Amino acid sequence: MSHFTQPTEYVGRPARRVDALDKVMGRAKYIADYRVPGMLHARCLRSTLPHARIVRLDVTPALKVPGVRAVITSEDFVDHGLYGFPVKDKYMLAYQKVRYVGEPIAAVAADTPQAALAGVQAIVCELEPLPALFDAERALDPDAPQVGPDRTDGRHPNLKSDHMLVCKGDAESELADCPIVLDRRYFTDWQEHAYIEPEGVLAIPTPEGGILVYAPNQSPFINQGNLAMTLGLPHNLVRVIQPTVGGSFGGKDDIIYESSAQVAKLALITGRPVRMVFSREESLVASYKRDAMHMHIRLGADRDGTLRACWFRGILDSGAYASETPFTAWRASIHAMGAYRYKACDVDVYCVYTNNGYAGAFRGFGNPEVCFAVEQTVDELADMLGIDPIDLRLKNCLRLGDETAHGQKLTESMGLVECLTTVRRISDWDRKRAEYSRQTDTDKRRGIGVAIMYHGMSLGAEGADYAGATIAVLPDYSVDLTSGLTDYGTGSRTVFTLIAAEELGVRPERIRIQRPDTNTAIESGPTVASRTTVLGGNAMRAAARNLRQTLDLAAADLLRCDPQQLIRVGEAYVGPDEEAVAWEKIVDHAREMGLILSAHGKWEAPKIVWDHHHGRGTPYMAYVYGAQVAEVEVNMRTGSTQVLHIWAVHDIGKVIFPQGAYGQLYGGITQGLGYALIEQISYRNGYIQETNFESYLIPTSVDVPEITAQFVESAYSYGPYGAKNIAEPSLVPTAPAIANAIAHATGRRVRELPMNLERVLLGHDLQPPASTKPAQIALSIAPRSMPQPAGQSVVRHAAATNGRRS
Amino acid sequence: MLIQLTVNGETIAVEAPPDITLLDLLRDYLNLTGTKEGCAVGECGACSVIMDGRLVNSCLVLAPQADGSEIVTIEGIHAPDGGPNDLQQNFIDYGAVQCGICIPGMIMAGEALLMHNPHPTRQEIRMALAGNLCRCTGYQQIVDAIEATAKQRQGEMG
Ligand code: FES
Ligand code: FES
Repeated sequence: MSHFTQPTEYVGRPARRVDALDKVMGRAKYIADYRVPGMLHARCLRSTLPHARIVRLDVTPALKVPGVRAVITSEDFVDHGLYGFPVKDKYMLAYQKVRYVGEPIAAVAADTPQAALAGVQAIVCELEPLPALFDAERALDPDAPQVGPDRTDGRHPNLKSDHMLVCKGDAESELADCPIVLDRRYFTDWQEHAYIEPEGVLAIPTPEGGILVYAPNQSPFINQGNLAMTLGLPHNLVRVIQPTVGGSFGGKDDIIYESSAQVAKLALITGRPVRMVFSREESLVASYKRDAMHMHIRLGADRDGTLRACWFRGILDSGAYASETPFTAWRASIHAMGAYRYKACDVDVYCVYTNNGYAGAFRGFGNPEVCFAVEQTVDELADMLGIDPIDLRLKNCLRLGDETAHGQKLTESMGLVECLTTVRRISDWDRKRAEYSRQTDTDKRRGIGVAIMYHGMSLGAEGADYAGATIAVLPDYSVDLTSGLTDYGTGSRTVFTLIAAEELGVRPERIRIQRPDTNTAIESGPTVASRTTVLGGNAMRAAARNLRQTLDLAAADLLRCDPQQLIRVGEAYVGPDEEAVAWEKIVDHAREMGLILSAHGKWEAPKIVWDHHHGRGTPYMAYVYGAQVAEVEVNMRTGSTQVLHIWAVHDIGKVIFPQGAYGQLYGGITQGLGYALIEQISYRNGYIQETNFESYLIPTSVDVPEITAQFVESAYSYGPYGAKNIAEPSLVPTAPAIANAIAHATGRRVRELPMNLERVLLGHDLQPPASTKPAQIALSIAPRSMPQPAGQSVVRHAAATNGRRS
Repeated sequence: MLIQLTVNGETIAVEAPPDITLLDLLRDYLNLTGTKEGCAVGECGACSVIMDGRLVNSCLVLAPQADGSEIVTIEGIHAPDGGPNDLQQNFIDYGAVQCGICIPGMIMAGEALLMHNPHPTRQEIRMALAGNLCRCTGYQQIVDAIEATAKQRQGEMG
């Protein structure tokens, strides 16, 4: 395709993030920064039991608390506020039962945050404990306590998803025939998104009886749909705007939809704006996490290291509600065997209900879990056979023209081998691998490890895959964009701006992209699955091309030539008489001609087919690939692991916004490093033990080493300019690369995440005593202060100096 | 109680309860919302401000403790024309910003470091940022931006 080789003016060139200026000046407004006259403050009563029946819920005492304006329960929603996709199993406020510690039961709106808390404490709520389920591996036992909703199909009510299968040939007999078989079990623990901005939502009732919601969700249209459904409003009376979002990583979907419905209802009842902002403690207790996953893998190979068969079983502990975990389980199943060729493959993954919080979407979506298992097993095979781990991977990894275990032929955009060979070279792999293999120092040992990954692009067989965008020239000659896909820190607003600039031939500074708004943007499916650059980018490209056609016609008319004769010099149009005409003049002329200077674009992903029953087909339109190498130093006395350096080479197709792509890669690797070594959410008898950053540790600037990153731009014909995607895949191989480096350093495998001191040193856990306290304290933390009406009680004196630095 | 302090060069007297924090005072009473709250227990650094020349977590300072002090917040960091100063511009140019919620705190930490150590190594920059959590960037481009600013400021002085 010719357009890949055409030089670009803006795409792929150095550019600045469109929203960076407001952010560095401290001007960007997040929900907690909003202040609206008459605004009430909302707070939830949350469950302090992991599983219980609500036997009495009386909110009238709360209504008597001074300052309290309204209290709602599940009775205030249509169908008790039942929502959820793909499984409708959660209520906007608990109905009849609570299934995890932190589940919201009632919501109070009051004049001050303090009054809202007093209201919450005044609610009479009697909970009768029910037998609870904490062990995912026993969830389907006949006598396991029932957590999931009743089912009529005779299957176990704790089975949350179907069995997700991938089947190729007869894996059992192939394994029986293999001279080498590794049989291993792995476990990955819960992970918290830990966006630095806790959850918050603001709802404002509108004069026509509708509701305007500012919500830092990923997918405003899903929120709008849930609100319309549970509030009983027509869609056109529900408007959702996404303000600046302080990080999400998959985490601001369901929890924000739920908070949105609560504040929206309270706003409709009181006729006043209502805002709810979580404390960090409430965020940790109430929000969904990355699932914990129990994995069992059997890998068969020949003595020369040729992989032959993979058998994989996975159970996702995804807690009390489905959220998006059935999709997570599916993505996990597709990637469970890793990016390798096999003769036979047998994968079965499913998720179950328990009373351990709940799990939902989190960057990587099942792939980081399974990659940890398969990449360590492959590494162990290399060790056993005395083959270099990179050589073993090069021998077996997917290449152009290969067929995946699912039956998908890889016909283009395949850069995995180049990722591996590049990462080998830039990390000085061969020298270090040899040197560290000879170490005799017993106190501090170094190791170097590798992991590879592939990751299916966009939704795949999860659902309809399309996006829309709009573009318009405004009276001041600026260009206005909307996209139905959103930017919660990822950089997609800049990607869209660069694409529009490229197609239209105007400078990015002329372009402004609106905040996502269900009233102005085109519904584009969810902003998930790293699909924004490809889906939204193609839609934006189509929109800009449509507008460009109109402007080209105007230019041809003004310059009296064929559109084909036009050339562009900077923004200006030049016709056959070689005189440059400013872009503004062309816009004016188009308007004089009566042409409409707005357009929209739509893009739909190529159709794919997946047979769920037989585990065969084309799960995704294409894949991104990557290889990472980690170098570590393990203190053999304490078990502490310092990551010294990470090299990452990823094939993400054409890079559109380089600075943003590198940032995504660095950030993803950092989350992967935390996942590998320190991040742990522990539910003990259903009670979360980590309720703030002093106990839930995420990597700081001194935990993260320098990262050397590089991209392989193996163009994808359906991607805009050949682009693929980066957000999720960046973190997928990090934990297994570190695990393999630890094994290289210590000679021991750690098969559980996180690889904390005791697991690295002793090979087992030292469990601190479980406590219900952190969660209980977290739920009763009192607000200290509240927003004051502007200007009140403040005396200002003339500024002595203005600005600190000159 | 009446609390008097200087904020971004402006002398201010404000009536506020004695049990609120400096962070609350800035955000709720002075409407300076550029300073963020990420944890309220001194672990994340989103609330970083410079108090009498030292970087502090404003969520750990009681408002009365700030009485008589001189505070600089993100709203007080800018070039003379009100635009971004060199450090802020480098955050933009080096791609140090993603979601942005940690960025005001990072800029305060960067300014505080460069005040006391104009020639920091990358490792010293990392040490200076160790109290400021960022979940998006992996810190690398933030370190790049501060390092570049230090070099430029040295050049200007030399
Ligand atoms: S809010 Fe002050 S350190 Fe986190
Ligand atoms: S940019 Fe998002 S937390 Fe730092």
